[in-house]
Amino acid sequence: MSDNIDGGGNGALSTMTLDGEDVGFTPGETVYEVSERYRREIPTLCYDERLEPFGGCRLCIVEVEGSHNPVASCTTKAAPGMKVTTKSGRLDMHRRVLLELVASENRDLDVDPMSGYASGEMATLLDRYDARTGRFLGMQSGTSHPDDPNPFILRDYENCISCFRCVRVCAEQEGDYAISVMNRGFGTQITTEFDGILKDSACTFCGQCIQTCPTGALADLKALASKDVPGETKLTRTICPYCGVGCSVDLMTRGDQVVGVLPAMDGPANHGALCVKGQFAFDFIGHKDRLDTPLVRGDDGQLHPATWDDALDKAAAGLLAAVDNHGRHSLYVVASGRAPTEAAYMMQKFVRAGLGTSYIDNCSRA
Amino acid sequence: MTRPSDEQLHERWRDQPAPLLPLLHELHERDGYLSEEALRGVAKALRIPIAELFGTVTFYHHFAREPGGLEAPRVCTGPVCRLRGAGDLLDSLDGAVSMPCSGRCDEPVPVLRGSSTLVGLAADALESRPSPLPPAAPAGIEECIFAEMRTEGRAGLEGYRSSGGYDALKTAVLESTGPEVIRTITDSGLAGRGGAGFPTGRKWSAVADAAGDPKTIVCNADEGEPGCFKDRVIMDYDPHAVIEGMALAAFATGATRGFIYLRYEYPETEGILEAAIAEAEAAGLLGDGILGSDVDFKLYVRRGAGAYICGEETSLLNSLEGKHPFPRNRPPYPVTHGFEGLPTVVNNVETLAACAPILRNGPDWYRGLGRGDNAGTKIISLSGDVVRPGNYEIPLGLPLRELIDDWAGGAYEGRNVQAVTMAGISGGFLAGEDLDVDLDEASVRERGSMLGAGGIMVFDDSRDMIDVAHSAMEFFAHESCGKCFPCRIGTQRLTERLAGKAGPKELSDWLDEVRDLGETMKETSACGLGMAAPLISESLVKYFPERVAQHVTSVR
Ligand SMILES: Cc1cc2nc3c(=O)[nH]c(=O)nc-3n(C[C@H](O)[C@H](O)[C@H](O)COP(=O)(O)O)c2cc1C
Ligand code: SF4
Ligand code: SF4
Ligand code: SF4
Ligand code: FES
Repeated sequence: MSDNIDGGGNGALSTMTLDGEDVGFTPGETVYEVSERYRREIPTLCYDERLEPFGGCRLCIVEVEGSHNPVASCTTKAAPGMKVTTKSGRLDMHRRVLLELVASENRDLDVDPMSGYASGEMATLLDRYDARTGRFLGMQSGTSHPDDPNPFILRDYENCISCFRCVRVCAEQEGDYAISVMNRGFGTQITTEFDGILKDSACTFCGQCIQTCPTGALADLKALASKDVPGETKLTRTICPYCGVGCSVDLMTRGDQVVGVLPAMDGPANHGALCVKGQFAFDFIGHKDRLDTPLVRGDDGQLHPATWDDALDKAAAGLLAAVDNHGRHSLYVVASGRAPTEAAYMMQKFVRAGLGTSYIDNCSRA
Repeated sequence: MTRPSDEQLHERWRDQPAPLLPLLHELHERDGYLSEEALRGVAKALRIPIAELFGTVTFYHHFAREPGGLEAPRVCTGPVCRLRGAGDLLDSLDGAVSMPCSGRCDEPVPVLRGSSTLVGLAADALESRPSPLPPAAPAGIEECIFAEMRTEGRAGLEGYRSSGGYDALKTAVLESTGPEVIRTITDSGLAGRGGAGFPTGRKWSAVADAAGDPKTIVCNADEGEPGCFKDRVIMDYDPHAVIEGMALAAFATGATRGFIYLRYEYPETEGILEAAIAEAEAAGLLGDGILGSDVDFKLYVRRGAGAYICGEETSLLNSLEGKHPFPRNRPPYPVTHGFEGLPTVVNNVETLAACAPILRNGPDWYRGLGRGDNAGTKIISLSGDVVRPGNYEIPLGLPLRELIDDWAGGAYEGRNVQAVTMAGISGGFLAGEDLDVDLDEASVRERGSMLGAGGIMVFDDSRDMIDVAHSAMEFFAHESCGKCFPCRIGTQRLTERLAGKAGPKELSDWLDEVRDLGETMKETSACGLGMAAPLISESLVKYFPERVAQHVTSVR
């Protein structure tokens, strides 16, 4: 039924024209993906490359020869011979109106950059398209949940533009289906089951919805709480210390204090995903109970600071005593799930060759 | 009757096709609302995440979520009913709530109570009545769909068969082939009567050629467009014509299952359809091995729950599948990726009802019913300020003036037609010289409007067009699904500007905003709702510039 746009890949040459230039593409690619590869700067707000294209914001419109109206490039497959224009006065006019419209429904246009990874997306586009005009004013949309008592996620829907990236990331990436879309039209509202709080929903507090939100309507409460920590925020790429998956993160620090965690969108193991521990559980770093030196229990029954040599001697003596008194199979050694594969390998080698037993396990096995 | 338990209801529907809506309706009707407990049970039984199910339920206007909600009278406050005192009726009925146009504009004001429709102009005059038959056609006019409809007993199988009903199906399955049936439909020039006007033969042939089984025929009986009430009369008085049309489409395309997606606001029609389907099944006209052939076709009725957008075919398919009823991105189209991702015909009631007569009488006969180069007929639901509102089956190409003045008795005594809406309200207004238009898609489009599904509402010179435009835009805002930015925010902003609640006070700024908004909505919206809505404001400004100027400068 479509006259100009089909799946492509019908054996014909996979080339199309992008702003007058012949470009190649792989069948199945969308016009947006091709344009990205050729460095076109197409604005988007409902797009997250990890998610199924949705087609809601309409900012990614392009002109396609033979089609009366512009089409959304994110949901349109490239087709052989297709002639696409990504920039024109008409497209700019529509993009600006669309941006003026979203600006008109929100309470704040600019949010604290600590809100989340994508939280400045809308504001950046408003500047790029000169859309801070105050046109199209009227009622604002969305009802915030300042009273959701969780310590991690701000739910400030008065700044929500109904792009549904949060709902889709929760379903498609996290598989939790904790949040959904309630009502319709201008009354559209992000909700949990029966409009409750996150704690009573299927939410695992992974924080992915925060990091994809383009306006800061969903925001990282822990990072925002660092407002008073002095200094510039620095990012350091590292690996989450919690488990063997090895999710890449960018630690946000001010001075020598960790103030938040950003998932690395290009992390090979996680593509921007984290779990509640990697995302929020970094308070141990500066906690007063954290061990920063070995402790050895003395004859008085109390723990006392010791050197590594003393501590290792003490441990070795204890292990050998157990083998002498009860035999080598009296030992059972469990590796931590936080240890990487190499350390787990070392552990089993040490236990088998050194202690002489094969009673080993890993806490991630359960 | 004992109250069925949740488990019994889950058991009844779990393995049926498209189970969510009927299961929700049974619970809704059993309890008078949808309780949290009932919804949690449904989520488990049908394996739908509870947050998603909750969100989906809130999408539909008519699912009550508080005890007693279903019993509250729901009063139509659509564009015509408003002129007939719907506001007063709403105020005078205890606990009443309003609902958008519910498709009874030829006999205002409809009130839904529980599962029945009452009509009347005052609280003490409400009564249940069968829906009005189409007025008789003027002498010399030959009809297709209405030709036999006014005959007593037509809705029953015997009545339907007495004038050749099911002969076309019989000839098709026993003596003809799918491609031959499609050729006849193509040659007749029949095009979709649901609004978009896509050639029916081409649609069927695309489904016949598409890979994937089972294929599905969906009859779009959602009829949510304000001012449209033609599908109701066809289903109420000629249900077998719709069933035969669907069976023919199934035979032609190889489909083995079908759904009639019926709008919520036609509760009586559901019973009529179910009875007709049972009769047809008993007579071997539906089910396995139709009329002794090897053709199988099983037909189900599914009832919507109050959402205009569910008439948009891809939103409808999502609704049937139990998903959130946002429209889908196209392509791919339903002909290849329809119900459950498989090839599907979606056709309007009127389109399907025309098929059997076309096959019986031949494509040339049908073509010849139109005027000039126009093929066939179109039902126009005419309402508002005319002497004889009702459904009229006109030859395509009939002048609008002829329909209003000669067929329907014209405006009321001492009044003149000020404006009409087209395509329900989706075509915006026509007024002034543009009222001299022929009723065919091409001629109406030349005036910047659409014929669409054929609803025309008449407003005489006693009406305030700002008020009319505001109520039309309010409908679009109420029904916008919320998927895409231009429509979700645009319909709201246009409504506020027509209400005088927001927007520039300077006329030129006001006009700039309304024009830019309209352009962007028309060109970038994700579906027809957002594309059509600004025709209201655009045509208002075009035909009534002085009234607009007065509105903008006088408010606040
Ligand atoms: C907002 C919207 C509402 C619609 N409502 C209806 C409807 O109630 N009934 C209908 O048949 N078509 C409706 N349509 C058109 C359908 O999408 C589709 O084109 C039609 O059902 C196809 O059948 P036809 O080819 O027989 O017309 C609607 C379209 C839009 C955009
Ligand atoms: S924190 Fe994770 S699980 Fe919770 S709503 Fe957000 S994406 Fe879903
Ligand atoms: S909360 Fe953020 S991500 Fe979710 S819909 Fe609103 S703007 Fe989009
Ligand atoms: S145009 Fe309106 S109804 Fe259609 S998809 Fe967009 S928001 Fe939904
Ligand atoms: S990115 Fe394509 S519509 Fe939003």
